[in-house]
Amino acid sequence: MRLETEDIGVRYGRHEALGGVNLRARAGEVTAIVGPNGSGKSTLLGAITGTLPHAGRVILNGRDVAGQKPWELAAQRAVLPQATRLAFPFEVLEVVRLGQQAGTAGGRANVPMQALARVGMAHYAERIFQDLSGGEAQRVMLARVLAQVWSPVEAGVPRWLLLDEPVASLDIAHQLQVMEIARDFARAGGGVVTVMHDLNLTALFADRVLVLSGGRPLAFGTPQEVLTDDTLSRAYGCTLKVSRPPERADMPYVLPHHGQLTGA
Amino acid sequence: MAALTEISSRPRDRHARARALHWALAGVLALCCAVSLQIGAAEVTLTALLGKWLAGEPLTMMERVVLFDIRLPRLAMGVMVGGALAVSGAAMQGLFRNPLADPGIVGVGAGAGLGAILAIVLGTLLPVWVTDIAGNHLVPLAAFFGGWGSTLLLYRVSTRGGRTSVATMLLAGIALGALAGALSGILVYMADDQQLRDLTFWGLGSLAGASWAKVLAAAPLVVLSVGAALVLGRGLNGLALGEATAAHIGIDVQRTKLVAILAVAGATGAAVAVSGGIGFIGIVVPHLLRLASGPDHRMLLPNAALLGASLLILADVIARVIIAPAELPIGIVTAVLGAPVFLWILLRRRGLVDL
Repeated sequence: MRLETEDIGVRYGRHEALGGVNLRARAGEVTAIVGPNGSGKSTLLGAITGTLPHAGRVILNGRDVAGQKPWELAAQRAVLPQATRLAFPFEVLEVVRLGQQAGTAGGRANVPMQALARVGMAHYAERIFQDLSGGEAQRVMLARVLAQVWSPVEAGVPRWLLLDEPVASLDIAHQLQVMEIARDFARAGGGVVTVMHDLNLTALFADRVLVLSGGRPLAFGTPQEVLTDDTLSRAYGCTLKVSRPPERADMPYVLPHHGQLTGA
Repeated sequence: MAALTEISSRPRDRHARARALHWALAGVLALCCAVSLQIGAAEVTLTALLGKWLAGEPLTMMERVVLFDIRLPRLAMGVMVGGALAVSGAAMQGLFRNPLADPGIVGVGAGAGLGAILAIVLGTLLPVWVTDIAGNHLVPLAAFFGGWGSTLLLYRVSTRGGRTSVATMLLAGIALGALAGALSGILVYMADDQQLRDLTFWGLGSLAGASWAKVLAAAPLVVLSVGAALVLGRGLNGLALGEATAAHIGIDVQRTKLVAILAVAGATGAAVAVSGGIGFIGIVVPHLLRLASGPDHRMLLPNAALLGASLLILADVIARVIIAPAELPIGIVTAVLGAPVFLWILLRRRGLVDL
């Protein structure tokens, strides 16, 4: 089962923000979308989730999303936005329940608390959402998303987590925690598509990487194949050096090289 | 109001508390109804009448008239108007994602009023078959269309990409209210003496003109609108997360917005048509309920109907007795009670209107 896009394009007025993107994300894998600011990462995710009007087709688990009702899609995939502004003073647990009611775990009363525990926020269940820090709020939103697709596979059909920069406002420990949650979800048979800024976290956790540059796909493959000096330097427009630690030759990590240091 | 103070401490599960509050508020409403029937200018009390009824004595003509033709229709109208105003306030706040959005404040009430005045003044110019079909419903229906038009306009102006600008909403509301007021003023100049009397009476905001005919004229619109609003709970909860996220958790956003706008316009229109401009119920009631049992619209909307009806009936009792045998327009009572609460909301949460 897959999440596929066919020739996705998004225009903002006359400006083409995204064009010709054919993504193939498989269930059971974490697929990362990387690229510099303005390269169209979030725009692509917005097109996949149906938030942005777009050209081309999005196929989720073999069916075109265009003809499906919001609640049909909500049972198959959950979406984590970059930031959420909540209108009224809901408690944390109430926010997570909003996600649970959308999914197919509807009846299971303990799912919201389990989801909160999974992101390490169970002790905040009765706090008012607006009183949380940015990072805490983001983890609660992840719990809401998890509660929506609590079982990675339902009736043999994988479910999907679509994450827009899930670790942007988190400290390093929580960055690792969130990425582990995403990987565990994929290992259990679900699918994960995530927009990423941090190339090293991407190398650590992603199974496939799509590199976007200027609204166009530049490379797609495993981190080994894609995270190379040449591709990254071209994508980001600066000199980047990919190293491999001797003890983990399969895991590239990316170092920025200042011009003077490299003599460039 | 004892029910509200009891639960001011943070409950463990607010949803369960909101359910409990629901039954408490139903009791409060029953009590307010009894008080409203008991008290009035005439020396007729509910307790005395009940005593007579239990003893098997017949009621006098005066007692029948006071109970069935004066107090009961007035009570029925108070319940309808109070419930409709509070529910339309709660629904509008959910739609605009802001606790300050109230039909009375942002010009929807004025738009509905313009519709009602149009119907009163120009209704005689309509073809006979239209007035025949519409009958007593003409003024409420016109108020509904006025409210609908102004809600749509306000939403178009103040909302871009699913996000409402509070500043734009409030300022557009001022403009809308001024425009509706000016157009209404022109119509007042065109009115004849009888119409002028109707308008003056109506414009003060009062339940004093209550009659079974008015109750029946407004009832269908109130029942439809409040009924529609009551099923919006899940949709408005979703909208609290933003339009995009609401869609992602399975809410049909466009349909939710459409139903919310129609319900707000219908409830506001019906209330304005029969009682004129009664302010602040729509903002104070949902705010108190959010403090007491949280913002979950699935309980907020039905509880708002109960508390709104209770508060309006109480305000009406105050309006009737405070300068008896004369009576105050109820709009004055709700403004005196409600405006300070509105200011208090602003003081507590100034961030709401940071422009």
